[in-house]
Amino acid sequence: MFDTFRQAMAWVHTGFGLMLGYVLMVVFFFGTLSVFDREIDRWAVPETRFAVQPMPSFDQVLAPVFQRLRPDPDDVERTARRVAGELPDAASLPLVSLFAYTTHRDPVLLVGAEFGVPNAPLDPADDHLHVHGRAQVDPRSGEFLPENRLQIGTEFFYPMHYSLNASPAIIGYWVVGLAAMSMLAALVTGLVIHRRLLRELFTFRPRKRTQRSTLDLHNLTGVVALPFHFFFALTGLLIFAAIYLPVHDSLLQPLDRQHEVMEAARTGLPHEPAGVPAPLASVDAMVAQAKARWAQRGIPGEVGFLTIEHVGDRNGYVSVFRAGSDRVALVGEGIHFRASSGEILHEDPAPSAVHAVSEFLTGLHLQHFRHWLLRWLYVVGGLVGCVCIATGFIFFTERRKRQWALHSPQALRWVDAFAVTAVTGMVLAVLGMLVANRALPADLPARAMWEERVFWCTWLCTLLHAYVRSAALIRGEVSAAWREQCIGIAALAVLAVALNWMTTGDHLWHTVTTGYWPVAGVDASLLTVAFIAFTAAVRLDGRGAGATSTAVEPVEVSRG
Amino acid sequence: MADAAWLWLAAVGSFSGTVWLALAMPVHWAQVMSAAATRRHPALVLRCLGWLALAAALAACLSADAPTMAVLVWVMLLVPAALLVAMVLAWRPAILRCWGAAVYLRPGSSGR
Repeated sequence: MFDTFRQAMAWVHTGFGLMLGYVLMVVFFFGTLSVFDREIDRWAVPETRFAVQPMPSFDQVLAPVFQRLRPDPDDVERTARRVAGELPDAASLPLVSLFAYTTHRDPVLLVGAEFGVPNAPLDPADDHLHVHGRAQVDPRSGEFLPENRLQIGTEFFYPMHYSLNASPAIIGYWVVGLAAMSMLAALVTGLVIHRRLLRELFTFRPRKRTQRSTLDLHNLTGVVALPFHFFFALTGLLIFAAIYLPVHDSLLQPLDRQHEVMEAARTGLPHEPAGVPAPLASVDAMVAQAKARWAQRGIPGEVGFLTIEHVGDRNGYVSVFRAGSDRVALVGEGIHFRASSGEILHEDPAPSAVHAVSEFLTGLHLQHFRHWLLRWLYVVGGLVGCVCIATGFIFFTERRKRQWALHSPQALRWVDAFAVTAVTGMVLAVLGMLVANRALPADLPARAMWEERVFWCTWLCTLLHAYVRSAALIRGEVSAAWREQCIGIAALAVLAVALNWMTTGDHLWHTVTTGYWPVAGVDASLLTVAFIAFTAAVRLDGRGAGATSTAVEPVEVSRG
Repeated sequence: MADAAWLWLAAVGSFSGTVWLALAMPVHWAQVMSAAATRRHPALVLRCLGWLALAAALAACLSADAPTMAVLVWVMLLVPAALLVAMVLAWRPAILRCWGAAVYLRPGSSGR
């Protein structure tokens, strides 16, 4: 089928790139935004624009919060379908386990709980019958934050990165996993195809014809960030390995359950409740003890994650985990206490070599550390990845433009329209969502849903626009959609900054002079995006038809 | 020294290292240096300088952060460094001439 190995690799590279490149573009772009997801949350939910807070006192603040926490109505409905008989009133379901979670970038605290269900499951194998409840809390007062606010960064952009916000989400995970696998394949095949890379590592010839300079840029961005591309695709797959290879929940389920029981016996942390009620000792005292133990071990730190299992039972235990702000691995060094007495039951030992490597690999992807330079370097890496994928598309169309204009002009227009939608269209959709976030009335029912609708509708509109305005392609020119969507980006980005000023009073000068970097950073980034998009639009206009006429001779075709 | 200063040093080290590694390639050396200098291409010296600078950058990263973090910062610093070198080579290659000229600096010699 292929004369050389290189040709075969080129076929794989182009085929997978074209099929899953669009998904990869989404994954890379929203991954880049997720580096600053919590900062985007502050921009989108002005009620949470206050200083970062440590884990609050459990006894004073959190205990009353958990008393008020109720099961999520949607989860109650889903669970009701899995059990025999009627579920009791949701408010009466007993709290069986709980958690509180914060990082060095969170002013708000995430709390969650599992509520016990007395009914028997319809499927006897259904051994995880709980309803869940979760809420965002202001740690200063213990008040719940309003529910109709969408934390765009952590609740929309971040899930978009790994699940495409597809419904049911499992499909999204699988598509993203497939894209990550094909990304690894594309990296290897790319190296085979462009084997002269090392000799031309730093070569970028912007003045050559578009096809040449696009390929230069594709190779350059692919190679300079090769370790980043490789490790992020790989660790992304590792993080969701249990979803892609769910052996612990299928083939090896009995072994997995047995392991849980044996681990409970080994660590002394009860696997099952005793069924005997017991009071809860002071959790604050346990936290103080945990902090003292960490300091003794030379790793003083704050609490990042706190859980209580078997709440209100004699077998209940409290686990206190240290926040991983100062290293790559996430939370860890857990110290576990008997809930009723506060005595130490177990201290997590130092991780084994395999576990430490796994923690490092997932930690480098999930980045909970406090290192602003590294965070920005990840943004650079992500954007470089986006450029690599986008130039791949552009090179593909540039190369086939002349031939396709003659034989299948519609296919050419659609491929280019999809490329426009995946590049400028995606940015427009994000900006549309941010503008909607600031423009929609604060008390609008289902406000979060409207913000999401604006996002999807804007994106769809950019596809239609890109197709309608692509007629110039047939003449061998650049589609007008690129320039027009760049102008749209510049306008919407400035509008978003202006709306933030108008609705909250936090203009850029104010946030910079008061040092409120989460909002200042988002605003400044929006203005930078506006500037770059405007410059691109001006240059596209200046080059106009000349941009690619050097690449392909203008082809006179009456069809279109 | 403050962590920020070490990280600046690491950034300068990775940029310089990438510049020298680029100049070790004949095509980029010719792009940057004057015609007289292109006759002799001290590729080996440039390559050694490049790796030394990158090693120094790694040492600076290690002084600023814990080893696991430092390695990440070092690898990630190479991304903007290499990108910047490529862009400067494309638009203003003359800027990199002083890195090339550094090869001729020897104790007791007057520049070239």
